Amino acid sequence: MEPVLLRARGVPNSRHIDTYLAAGGYEGLKKALTMDPEAVTKEVLDSELRGRGGAGFPTGRKWTFVPKEHPGPKYLICNADESEPGTFKDREIIEYDPHLLIEGIAIASYAIRANTAYIYIRGEFVRWARILETAIAEARQRDILGASVMGSNYRLDVWVHRGAGAYICGEETSLIESLEGKRGFPRLKPPFPAVVGVFGKPTVVNNVETLACVPSILTRGAAWFASIGRPRNTGPKLYCVSGHVRRPGVYELPMGVTFREIIEEHCGGIRDGHTLKAFFPGGSSAPVMTPDQIDVKADFDACAEAGSMLGSGGVIVLDDSVDMVEAAANLAHFYAHESCGQCTPCREGSDWAMDILDRILEGHGRPEDPATLLRICQYASQGMTICPLGDAFALPISSIVKKFPYEFERHIAAATPRPPKKLPVLPWAGPRPGFDGQ
Amino acid sequence: MPKVTIDGTVVEVPAGTNLIEAARQAGVAIPYFCYHPYLSIVGQCRICMVEIEGAPRLAIACATPVTDGMVVRSETSARVKEARDAVMEFLLANHPLDCPVCDQAGECLLQDHSFTEGRDTTHMVETRRTFPGLERRLLGPHIVQNQNRCIHCSRCIRFTQEISETAALTYKSRGNHAFIDTFDGQPFTDPFSACTADVCPVGALTIREFRFRKRAWKLRSTPSVCPGCSIGCNLWIDHHERTVYRFTPRENPAVNATWLCDFGRFLAESLNETHCLHPLHRVEGQLHRVSWGEAMRALALDVSAARTLRVVASANLSNETLFLARELFVRHLKGELVVPVHPGEPRRMKNGKGEWLYSRDAHPNSEGARRLGLELVDGERLARFLYGAADLTVILDPTAHPYLSTAEALQLLRVSPTLSLARTNHPTAEVASWLLPVASLASDEGTFTSSGGHVQRFQPAFSPAGEARPAWQILQLLARAMGVSALDLDSPAAVFAAMATKEKGFSGLEWERLGGGSPSTYREHQHVG
Ligand SMILES: Cc1cc2nc3c(=O)[nH]c(=O)nc-3n(C[C@H](O)[C@H](O)[C@H](O)COP(=O)(O)O)c2cc1C
Ligand code: SF4
Ligand code: FES
Repeated sequence: MEPVLLRARGVPNSRHIDTYLAAGGYEGLKKALTMDPEAVTKEVLDSELRGRGGAGFPTGRKWTFVPKEHPGPKYLICNADESEPGTFKDREIIEYDPHLLIEGIAIASYAIRANTAYIYIRGEFVRWARILETAIAEARQRDILGASVMGSNYRLDVWVHRGAGAYICGEETSLIESLEGKRGFPRLKPPFPAVVGVFGKPTVVNNVETLACVPSILTRGAAWFASIGRPRNTGPKLYCVSGHVRRPGVYELPMGVTFREIIEEHCGGIRDGHTLKAFFPGGSSAPVMTPDQIDVKADFDACAEAGSMLGSGGVIVLDDSVDMVEAAANLAHFYAHESCGQCTPCREGSDWAMDILDRILEGHGRPEDPATLLRICQYASQGMTICPLGDAFALPISSIVKKFPYEFERHIAAATPRPPKKLPVLPWAGPRPGFDGQ
Repeated sequence: MPKVTIDGTVVEVPAGTNLIEAARQAGVAIPYFCYHPYLSIVGQCRICMVEIEGAPRLAIACATPVTDGMVVRSETSARVKEARDAVMEFLLANHPLDCPVCDQAGECLLQDHSFTEGRDTTHMVETRRTFPGLERRLLGPHIVQNQNRCIHCSRCIRFTQEISETAALTYKSRGNHAFIDTFDGQPFTDPFSACTADVCPVGALTIREFRFRKRAWKLRSTPSVCPGCSIGCNLWIDHHERTVYRFTPRENPAVNATWLCDFGRFLAESLNETHCLHPLHRVEGQLHRVSWGEAMRALALDVSAARTLRVVASANLSNETLFLARELFVRHLKGELVVPVHPGEPRRMKNGKGEWLYSRDAHPNSEGARRLGLELVDGERLARFLYGAADLTVILDPTAHPYLSTAEALQLLRVSPTLSLARTNHPTAEVASWLLPVASLASDEGTFTSSGGHVQRFQPAFSPAGEARPAWQILQLLARAMGVSALDLDSPAAVFAAMATKEKGFSGLEWERLGGGSPSTYREHQHVG
C-alpha cells in the first residue's frame, strides 16, 4: 500500500507548507468548503473511519452528535496527548506532516461548524508543539486558517495547548478540564463532550491519526477509504511496534493485516535466539495476547473477538526473556502513578496491585496473591470507575494473571515469608510545627 | 411524576430526583460517601452502586436520575452487595482502623457502613499508605487534618468551591497520594471553615475546638436557632450533662441549607458561661442574695411606685419575652421601652437554593421586635434615652448593645435605681440595685423572627443553672406579683398563642408547626449529607 498518513516521511523539507501544497495538500479542505457541512460528515460516515485514539468510535457518528442548532460556539479538540505506553504514532505525523493534521482539523471543524480548534499536546512534546506552531503560522499567513479559510466566509482559529504531562489528560473529559485550566479529573458521563464539552459547549475530541485520515477521505472519496481493510474496520492504520522485534518502529499498513505480518514480515521477527512470548496489540491498556493468537487480524473487531482491543495500535512485543510478573508490575507502577485518584477502585486498586506485584518480585509472594489480584482487577473495571483508566489497568494485569498463572506459581513457590517489619523507634522531636498538641 | 420501583417498593418522585433520594423515600438506605444533597455530584466513591433492570452494568445511584418505570435493586441484589463489598475493601485498604482514638467515631459514615455491611477481614496485607506529617496538621484556625483517614470524597473541596466560594481547598499530588491542602498553602481561614469538618464523612477533618471534648454518642441534640446575627441559621445544640459542647447545623433549605458560619458555630460554648446564679439585691452598696419570692414582692412594689419607668429591651430576646415586656411595661405600666440594635460585623449565609442571605444586624430577633411595633434604637439614641430621668430603669439584657458597658452608660444608670437581668459578669452589675439571674439560650424556649421573616422556634436543652430562670418567666412572675393576671401565662406556648391572636405579624401561626423537630440523639440527624 502506498503510504497515506506517512506519505511525507523521508521527503526533504516535508514540514513546509509549500512542500505540502505541491503534493496536493489542502485540496481536501478546498473541496469540503464547497460542500455542506452535513455532506462532509456523511462522507466521513460512509468511509467508516473509526477513532484511532483507543476506543474505535465511528468518527462520523461522533460528529453527528453535536447539536446542529446549538446557538453558541462549538469546539474541535485534537487529542495529541499520546501518552499510552507503546504508542508513538501521532508524534510521527506531526514530525513529518503537520499540515496534514491541520487540514484534517480544518475539515472536521467545518463539518461540525466550529470556529475554534485546540490541539492539546502532551507537555513533553516541546519540539512537536513548536512544529505545530510554525505550521499554524504558515497556514494563517496563506489564509488557510483565520478569518476567511481559503477565501470562503468560514472562520477558523487553531491553538496549540501544551499539557503538563499527565497520562490521564489524554482521556477526553479530563483533557477538557485541563484545557479549561483545571485539574485533570475525568468528568462523569453523560453528558458527553459532544453535548457539553469544553467551556460547557459542544465539543468533538479526535485523535491526531483520526484527523489525519480525513483529508484523503475527501480527496479520494469514502469508497476508496472503505476499500482498505474490511467493513467497519477500514482505512490505513499506523502500527507502532516496540519491544523485542528486530526492527521496531511506526508502520503504516492497511487495517486488518495480521499480527504475524506485522511482527514477522515488517519488523523482521523476534530478536535472535528468542521466541515470542506475548504481545499487547494496542498499547499497554489492552489485554495481553499469546503466540497462538498471532494470526488474529490487527483491526478493531478481530482484536475485540480475541478478547483484547486494537486500542491505539501500539504493539508491544515481549519475547521469552520476559518475566510476566515483572511485566505486570511494570504496568501496575505506571497506572498507580497515573491514576487521577478520584474513584475508589482505581485509586486504591492500582496502588494495591502494585504493592502485591512488588512483593511477589521481592520474593515474598503468597499463594492467595493471584486470586487477590483478580479480585482487585474485577472490581476496578467494568463500569466501576468514572473513566476507562480503571479498565486500562485492570484488564491487562488480569489477563497476565490468567494467561501466565505458572509464572506467578513459580515465584510464589520459591517465596519466603516477608520478615516482620521492624518499626523504627523515632526520637521524640517535640510537637510538630503548627500543631497545638491536642 | 416518574414512578420507580426500588427493592420492590414503588415511589413517585419529582423528575430529576436521583436514586439515592428516591430510595430514601422508599425507605431504602443506599450508602454514600461522596454524595451530598447540597453539593455537586462527582460519583467518586462508588459505594452507591445499584442494579437497574435492563442495564448490563451496575450504575451509581447518586448520578442516576429516576425515569418512569425504572426497576432498581439495592439491598436485594447479590451483584450490588458484592460490588459494595469490594468498594469497602478498597476504601479500608488504606484507611487506618483507629476508630477507638478517632474523634469522628460514632458519626462516621465509613464506620457506620462498616458496622452494618462490612466484613471483619480483608485481603490487604501490604503496608498501609500514610502521609507522614499530615496526621495531625492544623489546616486552619479551626480544622485539624488527618490525611491518613481521608477517603478522597472531595466534599470539603466542593464545599469551598460551591458554597463558601473561596475555593480554598484543593487536592495536591495525584492518585493514592493525593492529599487535601489549601490552594495557596496559606492557613485555611475560610469564614465557613468548620463546615468542611461537617461534610467530611470520616475523621480526616475535625474541629479543633470540639476534638476529644465529648464522644459523639453521648451528645443529645436540641433544635435551636443561632444567636449570632439576624439571618437566624437553624442549628442543633449538642449537649451532655447540662453542658453545651457544640452547635451543628440543622437543615433548613430556606435559611442555612445545612451550614453554619464559624462565628455563629463557635458561640456554642459561650452558652455555658453562667456567673449569675441567684437573685441579688443591693442594700447599702452591698449585693445580698434573696429568694425569688422576696425579690418579686419587693420589685412589684418598686415597679408600681415608679412614676417614670424606662425599659431597655433587647433584640436578643425571644418574641414571647418582648411581647410580655411590651404588654407589662408599656401597655400596663405606661413606661417607655426601646430595643437597641447594633449593626455588628457583616455576615452572610448561603441557603439551599444557593442564594446568599446577608445579616442586617448582630441580633437574632430584631425583625421580631420591629414586627411587635417596638422602637428600635441605635447606640446614639440609646444614650439619649438613658440621659433622660426615670424613677426606675429595667435592663432586660445587658448585652443588648455594647454601649451599655461603657463608662458613660454606667454613669447615667447610677442616677436612679436599676433592675437588670444578667447571666454573665457585666459592668452593669456594679450599678444595678437588683440583679436577676437569667437562663441562656440553651435553657430558654421561644421564637425568633429572622430578617428573612421566618418565625423560628428554639427549644430548651436543659434546665437553667442555679436559680436562673428564662426571661419570659421572670416577666411572668413579675406580672403575677403585680396582679396582672392577663399576663400570667405559664409557658412560651401560651404567650405565643396570646400573641398570635393579637398581633398581625403572628396571626395564623401555630406553635406546634413552627418546626424545630423533636430533640434527638446526634446520630439520628447527623450528616444531612
Ligand atoms: C486513560 C486514557 C488515556 C487516553 N489517552 C489518549 C491519548 O493519549 N491520545 C488519544 O488520542 N486518546 C486517548 N484516549 C482516548 C480519548 O479518551 C478519546 O477517546 C479519543 O481522543 C477520541 O478520539 P478518537 O475518536 O479519534 O479515537 C485516552 C483514553 C483514556 C481512558
Ligand atoms: S478511573 Fe482512575 S483515572 Fe479514571 S477517573 Fe477514576 S480514579 Fe481517575
Ligand atoms: S459515587 Fe455515588 S455516592 Fe459516591
